[in-house]
Amino acid sequence: MRILSITTSLSEDSTTLKLSNKIIAAAASAAEAAGLSAETDHINVRNLSSDLTDMALTGFRSENLEAAFAQVAEAEVIVTVAPVYKVAPVGLHTLFWQLIDEKALASKPVLIGSTGGTPRHSLAGENVLRPMLSYLKGIVVPTTVFAATDDWGSIEGGRSLNARIAQASEELIGLAASLNGAGADSSAGPADEGDDTDTASTTTGEFGRRGARRNPSIDDEFDPELITPFAQLLEG
Amino acid sequence: MELGIFTIGDVTSDPSNGTTVSENQRIKNTVEIAKKAEEVGLDVFATGQHHNPPFVAPANPPVLLANIAAQTEKLRLSTATTLITTTDPVRIAEDYSYAQHLSDGRISLIMGRGNTGPVYPWFGKDIRSGIPLAVENYNLLYRLWREKNIDWEGKFRTPLNGFTVTPTPLDDVPPFVWHGSIRSPEIAEQAAYYGDGFFHNNIFWPMSHTARMVQLYRQRYEYYGHGAAHQAIVGLGGQVFMRKNSQDAVNEFRPYFDNAPVYGHGPSLEDFSTQTPLTVGSPQQVIERTLSFRDWAGDYQRQLFLIDHAGLPQKTVLEQLDLLGEEVVPVLRKEFAKDRPADVPDAPIHESLVIRHSEGRDPIPGGGPGSRAYADRQAKAAEQSETQGADR
Repeated sequence: MRILSITTSLSEDSTTLKLSNKIIAAAASAAEAAGLSAETDHINVRNLSSDLTDMALTGFRSENLEAAFAQVAEAEVIVTVAPVYKVAPVGLHTLFWQLIDEKALASKPVLIGSTGGTPRHSLAGENVLRPMLSYLKGIVVPTTVFAATDDWGSIEGGRSLNARIAQASEELIGLAASLNGAGADSSAGPADEGDDTDTASTTTGEFGRRGARRNPSIDDEFDPELITPFAQLLEG
Repeated sequence: MELGIFTIGDVTSDPSNGTTVSENQRIKNTVEIAKKAEEVGLDVFATGQHHNPPFVAPANPPVLLANIAAQTEKLRLSTATTLITTTDPVRIAEDYSYAQHLSDGRISLIMGRGNTGPVYPWFGKDIRSGIPLAVENYNLLYRLWREKNIDWEGKFRTPLNGFTVTPTPLDDVPPFVWHGSIRSPEIAEQAAYYGDGFFHNNIFWPMSHTARMVQLYRQRYEYYGHGAAHQAIVGLGGQVFMRKNSQDAVNEFRPYFDNAPVYGHGPSLEDFSTQTPLTVGSPQQVIERTLSFRDWAGDYQRQLFLIDHAGLPQKTVLEQLDLLGEEVVPVLRKEFAKDRPADVPDAPIHESLVIRHSEGRDPIPGGGPGSRAYADRQAKAAEQSETQGADR
């Protein structure tokens, strides 16, 4: 199971990065506890800051950005962590999700993590990111993880943060595991629709229908075998 | 190989001195640029179609193209976009036929959907219907140029009954059409379906992206049986600024780049030069970069350069044309011809299209007998009649 964190760590050793690392570790161990092998990876949005503003201005993606978006497409589970500024995750972080392809998170479980100075910011991730990630067709788990300064400084705070992380990670991995199971069931179904989308050999009559159904962020829309035949466009 | 220039007709302040030419001056400059293009030995001048400031590219390109045709002898004239979405196909058919007669067949078109959404309602069209409009309108245009007494009905305009375009195309051969798109696979597919050309402006996007679109078009061109993939008709844009000494080119162009419409105040000149085909440097660097397009696009038919935008002074633009004509184009012609397989066609021009037409070799939209598309259609029809038989 590929677990990818999209984290906006503005300084080298930020609490946001710490939180991200803790969540990733918890998710990996939850996966292993469920008998799944876990592979984790990490993208720091800070390293893409110029690429993102350039894309916002010119519309095109740098190679770095292309690679990052591809990593999201390939991951099975997403963890997103950002610091809260003025009651919203920092704009650099939301820009990443605002520029990625539509449906980039289709069928992927997502966990929202945020950091902030005081607990008053704790619902910022819920308010801003949950609708955005849902718009991208991600399945956001019910528990979000917020860490304020207090959580790092007191024994109680640390325990309750760890408990929230464990809770959210279990929800995340549980959802991922059940989605994987569901996927396996449907591909074995009698209509054979689940796995025929992966084969390159098709008949013309069918690939238009498939073309319309496929997820553009995962599928190559420039694949000649998947394009909607022009006659079909002509019919309207 | 056709080598030429294309303009977007922007009126942009010159960032080096803050002056802005008048619309009148920009329009006259554009005509002067086209005449100079012929003088220095380029093949093509192409103009965009725009309806909004800061552009004074014509709203109806045949007005400009006919004016230039009257002042030139050999220069081929093309649109860099004809807005197939918002321009009535009947007007396109008539206006470009007329310009084709006036210019003795020197006209070709690149179809596009425009640079801005708001243009749709200005012409009574629905902004959400970009692709369907491009599909229906071009289909009508295609027929208008080839059939008489047309009965037609569609979704986006009033029906036609027994309608015939006047004038009909010169020698009964319509102007060659390219379909331009930056990122829509549907348009590459449309170009392939009809056996028309595919043009990518190749300015703002990484070459890897452009390569994929060209590849898609080539493969679908073959699928529809118009020729092998490597024989499909491909055109590319590009953007250059040259001085004899490459560092002079960079220093002089930088303020124009940094303040350019569309990408100014964004990526650095260096990053943009790496990621996109923009080449700022010596004529030799432009030659090398342009020749490298063939590595990912295959042997192609049309190369147009953007040289007159972002507020560059007219004098500078004319100097660019001198450099193109004297140092770049002759070498490109020679080098592009090297190792070019004999079965790769030249850019279609009126004379070659007349021959093709008289020999009955016009492409069959959707693919005629012998194509994979045709075989697939037959198989599907057979399958359907079998199913219907089973139902009865």
